[in-house]
Amino acid sequence: MNSSNNNNKPKLKMAVYWGSACGGCCVSILDVHEALFDVIANADLVFWPIALDTKYKDVEAMPNGFIDITLFNGAIRNSENEHMALLLREKSKLLIAYGSCAHLGGIPGLGNFHNRKEIFERVYETSESTVNPDGIMPQTNYAALEGNLNLPEFYDTVKTLDQVVCVDYYMPGCPPQTERLLEVFMAVVNGSELPQKKSVIGAWDKTQCDECDRVKTDNKLVKKFNRPFEIDDDLTTCFLEQGVICLGPATRGGCGYRCIKGNAPCRGCYGPTPDITDPGAKMMSAIGTLIDANKPEEIAEIVDQIVDPAGTFYRYSLPASILRRKLI
Amino acid sequence: MKEPKIGVYICWCGTNISHMVDVKAITEEIGDMPNIKVSRNYKYMCSDPGQDLIISDIKKHKLNRIVVAACSPRIHELTFRKAIENAGLNPYLFEMANIREQVSWVHTDIEAATEKAKSLVIAAISKVTHHEELERRTVDINPATLIIGGGITGMTAALDIAESGFKVYLIERDNKLGGVVSKVDLTFPYMSSAQQLIKSLINKVSNNKNIEVFFNTKIKEINGYVGNFETKLKLQKKARELKFGNMILATGLKPTDPESIHEIGYGRLPDVVTALEFEQMLIKGNIKTKAGKEPNNILIVHCVGSRNEKYNPYCSRTCCMTALKYSNQIRSALPKTSIYHAYSDMRAFGKGCEEFYSQTGRKNAVFLMYDQKNDIPTLRRAGKNDRCNIIAHMYEKLSGEDIEIPADIVILMISMEAHENVKQVAHAAGVSICSNGFFMEKHPKLDPIATTTDGVYIAGTCQSPKDIPDSVSQARAAAARILTSISVGKVEIELTTAVVNEDICGACHTCINVCPYSAISFDEEKKVSVVNEVICKGCGTCSSACPTGAISARHFTDKQILSQIEGLLAVSNKLSEKLEMEEV
Repeated sequence: MNSSNNNNKPKLKMAVYWGSACGGCCVSILDVHEALFDVIANADLVFWPIALDTKYKDVEAMPNGFIDITLFNGAIRNSENEHMALLLREKSKLLIAYGSCAHLGGIPGLGNFHNRKEIFERVYETSESTVNPDGIMPQTNYAALEGNLNLPEFYDTVKTLDQVVCVDYYMPGCPPQTERLLEVFMAVVNGSELPQKKSVIGAWDKTQCDECDRVKTDNKLVKKFNRPFEIDDDLTTCFLEQGVICLGPATRGGCGYRCIKGNAPCRGCYGPTPDITDPGAKMMSAIGTLIDANKPEEIAEIVDQIVDPAGTFYRYSLPASILRRKLI
Repeated sequence: MKEPKIGVYICWCGTNISHMVDVKAITEEIGDMPNIKVSRNYKYMCSDPGQDLIISDIKKHKLNRIVVAACSPRIHELTFRKAIENAGLNPYLFEMANIREQVSWVHTDIEAATEKAKSLVIAAISKVTHHEELERRTVDINPATLIIGGGITGMTAALDIAESGFKVYLIERDNKLGGVVSKVDLTFPYMSSAQQLIKSLINKVSNNKNIEVFFNTKIKEINGYVGNFETKLKLQKKARELKFGNMILATGLKPTDPESIHEIGYGRLPDVVTALEFEQMLIKGNIKTKAGKEPNNILIVHCVGSRNEKYNPYCSRTCCMTALKYSNQIRSALPKTSIYHAYSDMRAFGKGCEEFYSQTGRKNAVFLMYDQKNDIPTLRRAGKNDRCNIIAHMYEKLSGEDIEIPADIVILMISMEAHENVKQVAHAAGVSICSNGFFMEKHPKLDPIATTTDGVYIAGTCQSPKDIPDSVSQARAAAARILTSISVGKVEIELTTAVVNEDICGACHTCINVCPYSAISFDEEKKVSVVNEVICKGCGTCSSACPTGAISARHFTDKQILSQIEGLLAVSNKLSEKLEMEEV
């Protein structure tokens, strides 16, 4: 990908890697479409397994600090994720936690409500589609005829990228909005002054509600929590006022409130605003204020209508929360 | 933030703390921590020499954060804040760790208590590191006072304030002054006339130019804050706006509805009357049955609706003595009538009351004890051959026998409840209600007149059941508190309020409804929530409800509290690590 740029500035060296991820973050980078020409005019992609045939050994061969920017997406679930995070940290000037999983733990982070044993049992024994009469479980070592085979070790706990290595910036989202990526990329290319280290980039300080054009009033009292399919959405009233849990109030803007525009409540992938330590706890406190009841039994009954509260409030943020995980 | 230079002071409290907590060991250990410039212990930190120690250290070592580990901050937080202020440091750069009430007084193991005290001190250090300077603010006091309730309590307070030369607005829901006392004949224990008492008060109130009385008036809404309250009254002819600096709630009592107590037969049996109905007979000097006959037997049933989980769990405090008063009045009026008291315990705690009880006991009345918890007397209509109207059945506890008592009139000593408008008044004035329905005081022991809303005082039976002297004492105490605030002219308002970060606020409106003081409004132009810092009490409800973190409660920010928790856990983590090591 060595194309030359017009103004003869040295081209940036860029890497993209995935830890425990679904691949959506990598695809979001491809989503720049024709702007990819601007990207490759200004940057050489030196490592990006989803798109380029580059190997671990190519990275290992690079001198320290060789890569200008690494977009690391995915959480740290196993020893390979961890090894690559450490390696890319060493080789990169700027390491960016790209997307919800690297930022806060993301969907894989919900695994922290279980441990390795429980997950393996479910996946390799009890799940309805599994046929495994010999009870074969993943192992890190296997002595095959051809020699020893190694697999990464699957950890009990999912970690965010910054729980393993030092991270320079965070770009939230599941996946991050491609326009935001371009803005950040062009800012680096143009040599703009970068924000304070450790800050969140490519997102606003204000929440989804600030942009959201649904009508919000002080009348936020609900007797019943609904799942989105259970209401006849009037398309204009705040989801919370219709009894649907929307994480917009506890979630940064920056995505252009796309889910809400599509008439689905916000699920919180852009993470918390700057001063929040635990967005799940914050949102639960806020939801508590909506409940239109005073008797403990009635309140409990209303709260019980929330399906999977842990997965709802901590959908993207469990490993980064105060809770971090269920006790093993 | 400047580099923290923290001074830590650990108090022995004589032997109160030092007998259970190794204060010297903590002092030493804390002294080695980062940012700790001074770490001392002293016999009595609250004493003048103790305070001087802090003041001279602040000056000498340029300390900018202070932690005192001593008793409850309820007792001495203000003492130390003042000392720190005297040394030229902002008083909010201070944190207190309670190692007496929360440690030495409640534990018996010196090693564990010392460890807990240490973690509380470390937590305080972690929190104080994040404290910010807060500036003092004052507001002027409007010298007028609003008093809700024109009974003996409201009128007494009104006169004390008005006679000092200040305006009083007295609000009465009825069309006349006097309240319950005006419906009573004589008072206990000295048998003086309640009528004379109350009539002279009504005269004084009516003739005082500083008191403006509003009859048939109810308060719907009160806005503002200490020093500057206002309300709009809807009068018959026109609306009227009142402005005042303080208020007293003296809304009084309501007798329990006797029909709600089924055993007792009120409404079913014509000669079963309530205490207040009997007072009317006494005022008229005419103790007769409904059929117009002089009664041969009168039964007085005590504790009707009081001290019983089914009705009111509390004691109504005045009924025992009122019942004895009736015994005396009946004995004088009808020397031959038999008087029976069905009582459960005789409570004669007031001045002159025990004496009153023993005198009354000698005047030919029969005292029969019933089991209040399980066996309230039941009343039924007497038969044709019985020589009385009503027969009461009860288990007499002292003799252990089931007995029947003949009666022509039965007097029910009905319990006192808070007035039915208490909820509406509480909401308007921004005060809380206790589980029994009475107004909640700021502190049950140390501040029973004030409420958690500055400038709002409570007096009389709206706070709890009480007799005339207690009601009058509270009335005069509330008046004195208000006169003090008027004479000072200004009041310091709470600094530990909530504050909105407009750069973060996402306009979700969550905070607006949760504020119990209506201190938050929405700025439609800026699209952010706004806290009125004068009304805000700093309760923190909004900051915990705010999902964006835009609202923080000053002096109790998430950062401060989380670092306090981290401080606490730092020690226990080490402790559990140590324990794990030992296990290995």
